[in-house]
Amino acid sequence: MSPLQQYLILAVILFFIGAWGVLARRNIIMVIMCVELMFNAINVALVAFSNYSTTGAGRGEVFVFVIFALAAAEAAIGLAIAIAMYRLKQNLSVDDLDELRG
Amino acid sequence: MTEFNQLSFLIISAFTIASALCVVLFKNLIYSALSMIGSFLGVAGIYILLHAELVAAAQVLIYVGAISVLVIFAIMLTGHRTGDINVFFHKQAWIAAPVCAVAAAALIAVMATAEFNSSSNSQNPSDENIATMLFNEYSFPFELVSLVLLVAVIGAVLLAKKEKN
Repeated sequence: MSPLQQYLILAVILFFIGAWGVLARRNIIMVIMCVELMFNAINVALVAFSNYSTTGAGRGEVFVFVIFALAAAEAAIGLAIAIAMYRLKQNLSVDDLDELRG
Repeated sequence: MTEFNQLSFLIISAFTIASALCVVLFKNLIYSALSMIGSFLGVAGIYILLHAELVAAAQVLIYVGAISVLVIFAIMLTGHRTGDINVFFHKQAWIAAPVCAVAAAALIAVMATAEFNSSSNSQNPSDENIATMLFNEYSFPFELVSLVLLVAVIGAVLLAKKEKN
């Protein structure tokens, strides 16, 4: 197995641990933390592809920097929503966010 | 990949996966946040193994330094330090685990058998190369990200602000 494949398998495992957390946990802060884990897994895959590519080494790392900034924006908005939700409902369970349910 | 790199890859990835699992499995939110920091540090180690030192430094600065502190602040502000047991797992948790395991196994099988057109040894682009690409070829995404960050900051302030009545 080539080194690239080992890094990709690590990224897959990390991504699905994060996905399991998003699906399984009910606390909204917990969901945000697990989304960050998934972002990290994607970044590992991008850097691995970038460094083992035959053409254009380093191109993936540029994308990783953009993803860093987007992840920071996502965390800021998500946690602001969590705080607003706590103020509104005194509760952080995502099951309580069902106002749009038909 | 030399013998030493192989060993350090195994150690760092085991640490990263273990702390990622701890994030999902800890009942206490603070413990989860702390193991999330461990996982971020492990990923930074992976970047260093991949010769992406600039990315590793940014990972430590942004994830370990900023996002973790933001998460811990949110936990403190909402006062849910010890999550109730009934706020632990969803009803669908026991379906989600096998679904994720099957999807992960399928992707791993594909990754392990796929033929990648990759160079056998890791190339390390210099930081200068990356900066040149970021500010020439990819300057439009770079500018767009700054706009997104501005919108995010304004949105976060508006959302977290107390309403008057």
